[in-house]
Amino acid sequence: MTVPSGPASAEVPAVRCRSLGVSFGTVQALHDISLDLAAGRIHALVGQNGAGKTTLAKALGGLQAPDNGTVCIAGNQIPPGDVRAAKSAGLAMVHQHFSLPPSFTVAEALELTAARPESHSVYRRTELYRRWQNEVAEVGGTNVLATRIRDLPVETRQSLEIVRALVSEARILLLDEPTALLTPAATDTLFERLRGLRDDGVTILIVLHKLREVAAVADTVSVLRDGKLVLGPSEISGVSQGQLSDAIVGPAPDADRAIAVEAAANAEQQLLLELVRVSSRESAFEPGLASIDLAVEAREIVGIAGVEGNGQRSLVSVIAGLSAVTEGSVLLGGEEMTSAPPARRRLRGLRLVPFDRNSEGISRSAPLWLNQSALRLIGRRRQFPLISLRQYKRQASEAMDLWQVRYNTVAQPAESLSGGNVQRLVLSRELASGLEVLVAAQPTRGLDFSATNFVRSSLRGLRDAGAGVLLVSSDLDELFELSDRLLVMYGGSIVARFNAPYDRQAVGDAMTGALR
Amino acid sequence: MTGGLQRVASTVLLVVVSFMLTALILWVSGYRVGTVLSGIIQGSITATGAATSTIRWTIPLLLIGLGVVIGFRAGFFNIGGQGQFYVGACSALVVSLGWREGPVPLVIMCGMIAAILAGMAWSLLPGYLRVQFGTDEVLTTLMMSFIGALVLQYLTAGPLRNPSGTGQTAASERIPEAFRITDSSGVSVTALLLVGGVAVLVWLLLERTRFGLTMTLVGRNPTMARWQGIDVRRVGLGTFALSGALSGLAGAVELHGPGARLVTGFSPEVGFTAVVVALVGMLSVWGTVVAAVFFGGLQSAILFLPIVTDLPPPALVLLHGMVAFLVTIKFRAVRRRRAGLAAKPVVG
Repeated sequence: MTVPSGPASAEVPAVRCRSLGVSFGTVQALHDISLDLAAGRIHALVGQNGAGKTTLAKALGGLQAPDNGTVCIAGNQIPPGDVRAAKSAGLAMVHQHFSLPPSFTVAEALELTAARPESHSVYRRTELYRRWQNEVAEVGGTNVLATRIRDLPVETRQSLEIVRALVSEARILLLDEPTALLTPAATDTLFERLRGLRDDGVTILIVLHKLREVAAVADTVSVLRDGKLVLGPSEISGVSQGQLSDAIVGPAPDADRAIAVEAAANAEQQLLLELVRVSSRESAFEPGLASIDLAVEAREIVGIAGVEGNGQRSLVSVIAGLSAVTEGSVLLGGEEMTSAPPARRRLRGLRLVPFDRNSEGISRSAPLWLNQSALRLIGRRRQFPLISLRQYKRQASEAMDLWQVRYNTVAQPAESLSGGNVQRLVLSRELASGLEVLVAAQPTRGLDFSATNFVRSSLRGLRDAGAGVLLVSSDLDELFELSDRLLVMYGGSIVARFNAPYDRQAVGDAMTGALR
Repeated sequence: MTGGLQRVASTVLLVVVSFMLTALILWVSGYRVGTVLSGIIQGSITATGAATSTIRWTIPLLLIGLGVVIGFRAGFFNIGGQGQFYVGACSALVVSLGWREGPVPLVIMCGMIAAILAGMAWSLLPGYLRVQFGTDEVLTTLMMSFIGALVLQYLTAGPLRNPSGTGQTAASERIPEAFRITDSSGVSVTALLLVGGVAVLVWLLLERTRFGLTMTLVGRNPTMARWQGIDVRRVGLGTFALSGALSGLAGAVELHGPGARLVTGFSPEVGFTAVVVALVGMLSVWGTVVAAVFFGGLQSAILFLPIVTDLPPPALVLLHGMVAFLVTIKFRAVRRRRAGLAAKPVVG
C-alpha cells in the first residue's frame, strides 16, 4: 500500500470527484457531480428515494464504474470501478444491507475480511479469539467473538460492519443508510461511535434519510435530487431545516399542481376500509405498524406519503391479509376481517396494485390470459369443476383490449410486455367488477409520462364511480394531485394528516421526521 | 407453436444423444453395438411377449410419472414415488389378505383406495413439512422413500411373510387369484382402461379446472399467487396428496396385476425412473405418456437382453442414467435462465 506522503490532509480532500455521471440504460442516475469532502469530518448525504445517493456512494467506493468523471481518494485517482484501488487508498464501504456471512462466527468473519491475514492458513480457535478481542471490545465484549453473525441483534451487526471496515485499515468510511434498521437508541450509539472515529481522524460520508439525524451527527450536508447535487457540501450550522426540506423535495413543477380535486359531493359516505389501532410485527427491512388508525370512505382517494421504508409495505400487506396483525382490527365494508385470509378480503371487494408489479403483480412466465384471470380462480368451490379455457381467454382478451394492453396473443408470457403494459394488465384484472376499495402501491413507478397519466386518470375515474382508493406513493406531486386527504407515515405510524390544499413544506417536514 | 415443436425436438435429440453415448461406451468396452441395439428392439417390441412386457412396465411408470408432473405443476419436486408405490402396494395387500371372502370388485376397490390413502399419507408428511417449515421436499420425499422400502422389507420378512416360501428373498403370501385385474403378463383391458382413465383425469385436472390453473400460478410465482388471494399452503398440500395418491395407486395396480404378492425390493427403480419419465415428457400429461412407453420398452429390453448378448443388465441402466443426466442438465439450464430473467433489476 502506497500512501503518498503529501502535506497533512487539511488541504487534500479525503474524497474528491469531478463531473461524475452514471446512467442505467436511459435513466441518468447521476448527473455531473463535483464534490470535495474534507478529511476528518462527518459528511451527510441526503435526498429522496431514487435521487442517486446509493449510486454516488458506490461510484465513490469503486463499486460502480462511472460513465464519465473522476474520483480521487486521498489524492490518488481511482481507475473507474476499481474497488481494490479504492480500498488500498483507504476507503471502506458499509452497505445498506449487511455483508458479513451470517453463518460465520464474529471472529471468523473478521479474519476473513482483515486487510492482512496472518500468513499461515490454519488457525486455532483460541488464537482467533485472542487476535480479535480488542476490536470487538467496544461492540459487545469478547464473548461476542464465538457468536454467529446471524444470531446477533441488528445494532450489533451494524457495529460489526463498521468494525469490519476499520480492520481493513480504512481512513475513509462510506455508510449507506446505516440507521434504516436501527432503533433511536441504537442510532444514538452509532452516532457516538462515528464522532469518536472522526476525532481519531477518520473521514465519514453517511447517507441519511432523516433530517433530524443529519442535524444530530453531521458536520456538513449535501443534497441530491434527481441525480444532481442541488446543495452543499455546506456546513450544517449554515443550513436551516426548511432549506434542506426544500432542496430534497424540490420546487413544485406548476403553481396550481397542488390543488386537490374537489371533494365528491356525496353526503352519504360509506366506510369501505377501516384500520383501528392496528399494530404489526416488523419485517426484515421495515418497521412494523404502530397503532395505525385509518379509514377510506366511498368516493375518496386517501394518499399515504412517506419516505420509503417507513411501514408502507407493512401497511399494504396487513390490509391484503399477507401479514398478521398483532393488535387492533381491520374492517372491510364494515365487516371484521382482522384474521380473514386474503381470499375472503378479495371476495369482499378488496383489490390491490402491489408495490412490485413484476414479482407481486404478475407471474412473468405464465401466459397473459392466466395472469388476467387469476382473480377468477378463488372462492368458487361450489361451482362445476371443469372450466372453458376458451371463455377464460376470450374474457381476458376483452378486458385487456378495454385497458389498451398491447399484445400479440393471449398465450404469450407476461414477461414479454413492457412496464407500462404490465401495469395496464394488472389494472385490467384488479379494476374489474366487484371492486369496492383499491389499495394502489406505487402505481406509476417506473412508468413513462403517458402510462402515468393513464393510471392516474383510472384512479380518479374509480373514485368518481364510487370506489374508495388508498394510494401509497413516494411521488409527492402524484399524491397532491390525486388525494382528497393525505396521511404521512414515519417509522410505522401516521405522524400527520393533511387536507387540501397541501403545504409542501409541512408535508416534507413530516416525511423526514422533522415534526418530532 | 414453433416453441413447442422446438422443445419436443430438443428432448428427442437428447434421448438420441444418450443412446449414442451409451453405444460409444459399449463399443469401447468391446460389445457389439449392433447386437445390443437389435436386442433392445427385440426385447421391447418384436420378440414374443415383448410388446406386452413394454406395456406392463409402462403402467407403473406412467402412474407415478403423472404424480411427478402434478407436483411439478405447482413447483414441488416429489421424487419419493418409490416409497409411495411400496406403501400403496402393502396397503392393498393387507386389504386383500384381510378380506379374502369379500366380494371381488369391492375388495379390489377397497385395496386401491387403501393404496391411494397410503401413498397420500407418505407424500403429505413431506408436503406438510414443506409448506409449514419450508423443508426441502427433494430430501424429505427421498428419505420417505427409503422408509417405504424398509416398511416393505419388514412386512415381507415379518408379519406378512409366506411361511411356506422357499425363495431366497422374503415374500408375502399371494393374494387370491380372483382379486387380480391382470394375469402375470401385467396387461389387461381393465388395467389399460384404468390407467388411460387416470391419464385423462389428470389432464382434465391440470388443464381444465380452476385448481389446475391455480397450481400453475403457484408453481410459477407463489408470491403473485398469494397477492391474488390464493391459499398457497392449501394448494401445496393438495398437490402433494394427489401426487402421492397416484404413486400409491400404481402400487395397488402392481399388486392386483402382475405382482399378486409382495417381494422385498420388487421393481426397485420404477419410482425413480418415473421422475425421468416426467422430465423427458416435458412435464406435460401426453408427453409423459409417450416417455412412459419409451422407458417401459427400455425396462422390458433390460430384462430381455441377457438372452441375446452377454451384456449384464446394468449396462442398459447406464442408458437410463445418461438420459436422466442430460434431461436434468437441460431442465436446470432452463430454470437458471428463467431465474436469471426474474432477477434482472428493474430500474426505478
